[in-house]
Amino acid sequence: MPPETAQKFEALQAQAQRLMLVFARAGYEPVAPAVIQPAGLFLDVVGESLRARTYVFTDPDGEELCLRPDLTVPTCRLHLARYRDGKVPARYCYSGSAFRYQPAGADKAHPREFRQAGIESFAVADREQDDAAVVATIAEALRDAGLAQVTLRLGDLGLFNALLDALPMPARWRRRLKHQFWRPDAFRAELARLTSKEALTAPALPADLADRLDPTDPGNAVDMVGDYLDQSGIELIGTRSLAEIAERLVAQAADARETPLAAEDAALIESYVSVKGSAKTAARRIEELIGGHKLDLSGGLDAFRRRLELLGQAGIDLDEAEFDAEFGRNLEYYTGFVFELIAPQLGPKSAVAGGGRYDSLLAEVGAPGQVPAVGSCIHTERLLAVLEGGRP
Amino acid sequence: MSGKLVLALPSKGRLMDQCNAALAKAGFTVAKAGPARGYKGEVAGLPDVEVNFVSSSEIAQFLKSGSAHVGITGEDLIHETIADADQRVEFLKPCGFGRADVVVAVPACWLDVRRLSDVEEMALAYRRAHGRQVRVATKYMNMTRRFFTRHGVTGYRIVESLGATEGAPAAGLAELIVDITTTGATLRANGLKVLDDGVILQSQANLIASKAAAWSPDLDRLARSIAARLGA
Repeated sequence: MPPETAQKFEALQAQAQRLMLVFARAGYEPVAPAVIQPAGLFLDVVGESLRARTYVFTDPDGEELCLRPDLTVPTCRLHLARYRDGKVPARYCYSGSAFRYQPAGADKAHPREFRQAGIESFAVADREQDDAAVVATIAEALRDAGLAQVTLRLGDLGLFNALLDALPMPARWRRRLKHQFWRPDAFRAELARLTSKEALTAPALPADLADRLDPTDPGNAVDMVGDYLDQSGIELIGTRSLAEIAERLVAQAADARETPLAAEDAALIESYVSVKGSAKTAARRIEELIGGHKLDLSGGLDAFRRRLELLGQAGIDLDEAEFDAEFGRNLEYYTGFVFELIAPQLGPKSAVAGGGRYDSLLAEVGAPGQVPAVGSCIHTERLLAVLEGGRP
Repeated sequence: MSGKLVLALPSKGRLMDQCNAALAKAGFTVAKAGPARGYKGEVAGLPDVEVNFVSSSEIAQFLKSGSAHVGITGEDLIHETIADADQRVEFLKPCGFGRADVVVAVPACWLDVRRLSDVEEMALAYRRAHGRQVRVATKYMNMTRRFFTRHGVTGYRIVESLGATEGAPAAGLAELIVDITTTGATLRANGLKVLDDGVILQSQANLIASKAAAWSPDLDRLARSIAARLGA
């Protein structure tokens, strides 16, 4: 690792100023969220995988802190510091360093200290309109910096959720599948389990207890599980309550009595997840997929079509735009629309900018309820590399 | 000094005693040597071997960096210290002692949690109920991360624990643990059970060669001849 972090400090600085001017002109207020963040909160939100890449330290008071691994969570916290319930609409822009440990060693392509320039928009009710506005602003900033040609790649977790909501199954199965969407292997395994009567009735719990647990009587289940522990001489230890343990046992007992997920419904989910291709024809392809299933996905599809139309109106080139139903699988806090802008010089593995909708994140960092939120950031080192490489 | 085979051996504890016994049984007499307060040693009859006595966890570091050619330590410490262990070291010979399993253990009262797939779902419910992620107490932070990632478990936080890890769940410091166990008795005494698919590694002490050290054909032959005699 070279001793200097920003290799092209002046060029990056000048570029960041231009980007910020475009953001400010589009109505985003420049803010400077704190570099040092409480570790506990960050790590609870981002999960252990990013924790492994976050610089965590303890200050002399014993408080656990971290260097921010991204600027989205710090901007959420800034918003909540201003408005406790987060519900006042606000648009912010920022430019600053973020820090991530690079497991394979830091180098030019994977710096441990990198600069993000981005925007976040909170509490705007018209989601599709706001999604399109964010993409348009980022594309405009890239164009202003000198990068005219980018390809849009997009996904929509809202469509996936709409599909699951339309298929008949217990709510807990739906919740499980939505949760496992991020982990393709675990997702497929869960789908296979739900379609198999044998797997659903596999002896997950002691047989004498399984037979007695009544899914329609959860109150009684708590006593029954408590008695079972007493009789077996097992002490109740730890922070999980008897009620929490009983709740999952009841769910498992209910699974065993449930009709398995229909094989054709599981196949439909699998084929939806593999939809990939032109964004313009994606909605029609999905309609064809669900054609024979008598499902109503109109809410999700209407939102998808409307967003696409708004993107087109905002000047985004849709001819080359690609839809990928699986896109978003490695970015856990997103909840709806997700996108990347790709420069042909760098290819899809190193998107120049990316972002999406994360309606749950503000609640996770302290807002009393869900707040609509969408944002995006530009990888400024990559942008500069493209621009310098692209010049004659 | 250069040109010698550097052999790193445990400097204290049970592992040191077992190590000395195994070496003696193989006909190697290890003696401390030199003025450096007993951190250096030699093997009678093998003038080309230089012994370094260091702590077991440091032996893994030595092998990773190539400061030692060979060393005897637990596989668990190697896998915890070196992410890509198979690229960096070669396991020359299992020693037959220091056997222990690195396992995922949860409170025995969690009747609803038997496998790792249950952990992920339990963690989701736990977060909804408690507003924070479940905590895993361990000193094996890297192995835990790799193992949990491989099994699709993500909704957890690690709290580092450097001793008496098995007491963490009962003390309310963590919900589950990843720890080493030989018979399971300590886990049971603390109200814990091992998950059905919760064995991360079956570990024992090994004679291990560093791929980062400076090797010559002579040193390679010497290391392999020691391996051949050890435990034979």
